[in-house]
Amino acid sequence: MRRFATLLFALLCLPATSVMAQIEVRAPGQQTIAVANTELLPLSGFPSPAIARELHEVMSYDLDMSGLFRQLDPASFLGDAKRLGLTSTQVDFNQWSLLGSEILIKGGYRMQGDRLLVEFRLFDVIHRQLLTGRSYSGYPGDVRTMAHKFADVILKSVTGKEGPFSSRIAYIDNRTGHKELYLMDTDGANSLRLTDHRSIVLNPDFSPNGREVIFTSYRPGNPDLYRKYLGTGQEARLSFKKGLNISARFKPDGREIALTQSESGNPELVLLGTDGSQRRRLTNHWGIDVDPSWSPAGDKLAFVSDRQGNPHIFVLDLLSGQTKRISNNGKYNATPAWSPDGDRIAFTRLEGNVFDIYTIRPDGTDERRLTFGPGNKEHPRWSPDGRFLVFSSDQDGGKGIYIMRADGTGMQRISATGGQSQHPAWSRQR
Amino acid sequence: MKRAGVRNSMQVLLLMVFAAMLAVGCAKKPAATTATAADQAGAQQVTQGVEEMGAGETGIGEGMVGDENAMSMPQAVSSLERIYFNFDRYDLSSEAQAILVNNANYLKANSDQKVRIEGYCDERGSDEYNLALGERRALATQKYLESLGVAKDRLSVISYGEEMPLDPAQNEAAYAMNRRAEFKIIP
Repeated sequence: MRRFATLLFALLCLPATSVMAQIEVRAPGQQTIAVANTELLPLSGFPSPAIARELHEVMSYDLDMSGLFRQLDPASFLGDAKRLGLTSTQVDFNQWSLLGSEILIKGGYRMQGDRLLVEFRLFDVIHRQLLTGRSYSGYPGDVRTMAHKFADVILKSVTGKEGPFSSRIAYIDNRTGHKELYLMDTDGANSLRLTDHRSIVLNPDFSPNGREVIFTSYRPGNPDLYRKYLGTGQEARLSFKKGLNISARFKPDGREIALTQSESGNPELVLLGTDGSQRRRLTNHWGIDVDPSWSPAGDKLAFVSDRQGNPHIFVLDLLSGQTKRISNNGKYNATPAWSPDGDRIAFTRLEGNVFDIYTIRPDGTDERRLTFGPGNKEHPRWSPDGRFLVFSSDQDGGKGIYIMRADGTGMQRISATGGQSQHPAWSRQR
Repeated sequence: MKRAGVRNSMQVLLLMVFAAMLAVGCAKKPAATTATAADQAGAQQVTQGVEEMGAGETGIGEGMVGDENAMSMPQAVSSLERIYFNFDRYDLSSEAQAILVNNANYLKANSDQKVRIEGYCDERGSDEYNLALGERRALATQKYLESLGVAKDRLSVISYGEEMPLDPAQNEAAYAMNRRAEFKIIP
């Protein structure tokens, strides 16, 4: 991360050919955009097939995952795929039109000492013009991030909303014999252990700027809330009340944290300052109140309570203090996650001993079931653009981290095998 | 299949409890325990506790049919036995109450010991909800031991939710084993 901070991603000040509106935005599952995703070519010096291949593979994975594109078979590409042309006058658009391509990804790379320079271009084949371009400079180890970043740019260019692929996912894994906090790319690459508590670490959440992670750890002999700065690795204990200090979530403005404490003898939602100072108690009920999830405006919290018997999803309006139950089906609903757009809340339901993921409008209408089939799907969290959900599942045996599109299609395991992985959280920024 | 599993595991559990009690009862002379009138009173408090919890806390008046003999029979135990709970419940079954009477006697006989009550859940349910539920189980256990005369300052609680199953298998028998409260002597 530190190393990558030095990476420059300069927007090329090319003539303002903003023709975004000329490509229709289509939802996943509908008609897809035909894309020619070419391998990048050496700008100068020796070719490095490994770098070109990795850039291509990462780009290809992201384009597929988005569900917006149909990638043309590289075997059908004609001569222009082997020609380095980074401006619209240099591209032979006739060749790409012939193949039915609507957009075209081209580019080049060059090693400069130990640094890697990558040029990416996105062309509109139909209108024969450049849509957007970026140049990235970093180390060869940053090659995947460069491709993820340009995939995010492509989504922005085509739909108006940036992609989430260059952000990261925090999660819990027990491969060391203890549950510890880990970080990985959105495709599961570059996984990295962040804690060494040798205890039980649970349920991380990113600060909105992506620089801090909060989580619960049993290291002090009690489930206490910690904050970790990703840049320095420094840790601080934020909440250590007697009893539970769990399921903490940053307010979208980053200024406060909602969590469950049980100091009163009963699990209640409480508001903390980011320095750990107690602000105010949000619930006051004999029932169990856990799993808060903020609305994007920060004015409401979805949470789980058994105050009416079984665990259900409730929404608390922080201004009025009113609480409303929004899940009306099932007998066990849990882990709400408010979408970044604010229009839906994902949650899980236990039915027939298996958890599946559902979404519902914040007013409790229009419930939809997203997952089916064997195994549990738990702990859904949204990608920052609301296009995807990340969750844990034991459908292939051991627990792993999976992602899928917000409509439930395109389910993919991303975490490596060899440990039990759970409690994913998607950062809003890299 | 699964239902049969529950019934079997419950039967096994009951058998185990009875077997343990019989074994203890046979091995030790009645004189080994001082509990008579005091324990009868304790056992009565026990039944009251059940009613309070069933009506007030959960709103569901469910309670397992207790074995009166097991409840009032004086017991001597050499250690603290764990107790088990029903799914998504933290009220104490009559078996659990009987075990807690024994545990309370043990604690009264070993008044220098401090005990941490650890609440656990089976793996079904959300992790955070289960942390809260595990705490409820530990607190219900603590309250009960207090009602049986164990000093409050000797008892602390912690919940591990579904984090440390006794049996990691995914079946009803394992789930029944994992929904529990355990007692750890604090050195």
